Amino acid sequence: MPSNLNHSSLEDPALVKAAQKGDMLAFEELVARHRDKIYARCYTMMHSEDAALDVSQEAWVKAWQRLAQFQGDSTFTTWITRITINVCLDQLRKNKRQRAESIEELNEEAGGVERLMPVVTVNPTERLERGELRQKIDAALGKLSDEHRTVLVLHEFQEMEYKEIAKTVGCSIGTVMSRLFYARRKLAALLAELRNAE
Amino acid sequence: MIFGMNEELHIKLQAFLDGELPEAEAREVGSLIASDADAAALHRELKQTRAALAGFEKRITVPETREFYWSKIAREIAREAAPRVADPQHSVFSFWRRLFPVAGVVAALLAALVVINRYDPRSPVGIEVAQADSDAFTYRDYEAGTTLVWLSYPAENGLAQENTAGKIN
Repeated sequence: MPSNLNHSSLEDPALVKAAQKGDMLAFEELVARHRDKIYARCYTMMHSEDAALDVSQEAWVKAWQRLAQFQGDSTFTTWITRITINVCLDQLRKNKRQRAESIEELNEEAGGVERLMPVVTVNPTERLERGELRQKIDAALGKLSDEHRTVLVLHEFQEMEYKEIAKTVGCSIGTVMSRLFYARRKLAALLAELRNAE
Repeated sequence: MIFGMNEELHIKLQAFLDGELPEAEAREVGSLIASDADAAALHRELKQTRAALAGFEKRITVPETREFYWSKIAREIAREAAPRVADPQHSVFSFWRRLFPVAGVVAALLAALVVINRYDPRSPVGIEVAQADSDAFTYRDYEAGTTLVWLSYPAENGLAQENTAGKIN
């Protein structure tokens, strides 16, 4: 639909309204504004730049298709981020079906591994610069299984409560708590390892 | 070390940290942390890990230009919006396509019938009828110097085509 609007000067709600009427340029402006944030969230969940690129674009396509359902109860960013998380979860499930689970993952799922890890007594992130810390956290997140990273990301970065995570991921609250506990303990150990390796 | 604590307590410590425990339980766990060194150590570790993550999601930007990134989205939107072409497997044509092999067999039978009707056992002249495989049926009349080949269509394999090429004079 041709439009004479100056899209870059419009706020998100106005762009959403225009896009809901079929204005693709308005939607393109929304994509341009939020694409980095969406891509970053995809990257955190998928831990692969290629996969993040694919799923982020898929999320935008889904957002366009469901735009009529957006009633403005939350911000557009919250809404598109939710769609993105669901697309990431779908992709992670597909990936999981395609690969055999490793013994390590089976152990993690069974629980108990985290209880054998000694408590990290020194703060592993102390005296690290922000950029350095971000890199170390990224590396440590990459070593977690998809299931544990997902729960951690949803809790720490998406700030979801246990119940909400359980609903989103499709598991029990008990599983969420157990995965989160493992993920945190493993992350603490990995960060300590990374610090000691220097 | 945390071996002395059971799994339920670990989870409760974490729920306490995340503010997910009911008030009464939260008070109990708070007292435990104050009195038990193992519980306090684990609580501290969980707290440090949570603090380390806060605000430290990797800052990463799309490694493509705005135009290129958008072009792929726009293309996919257009593709999804386009009316879907009927699945060829379920189209009307597929019905007729399935009839082709049957038509080939019928043609072969007709040819055989013609050969039988024209066959004269007294004649020394050779007439050869051969079904090389399920895809080709050959009728050769040496006297008339003609060769007819019926092919079922589509040919199922390259063999039928080779045979056909070899027998036509």
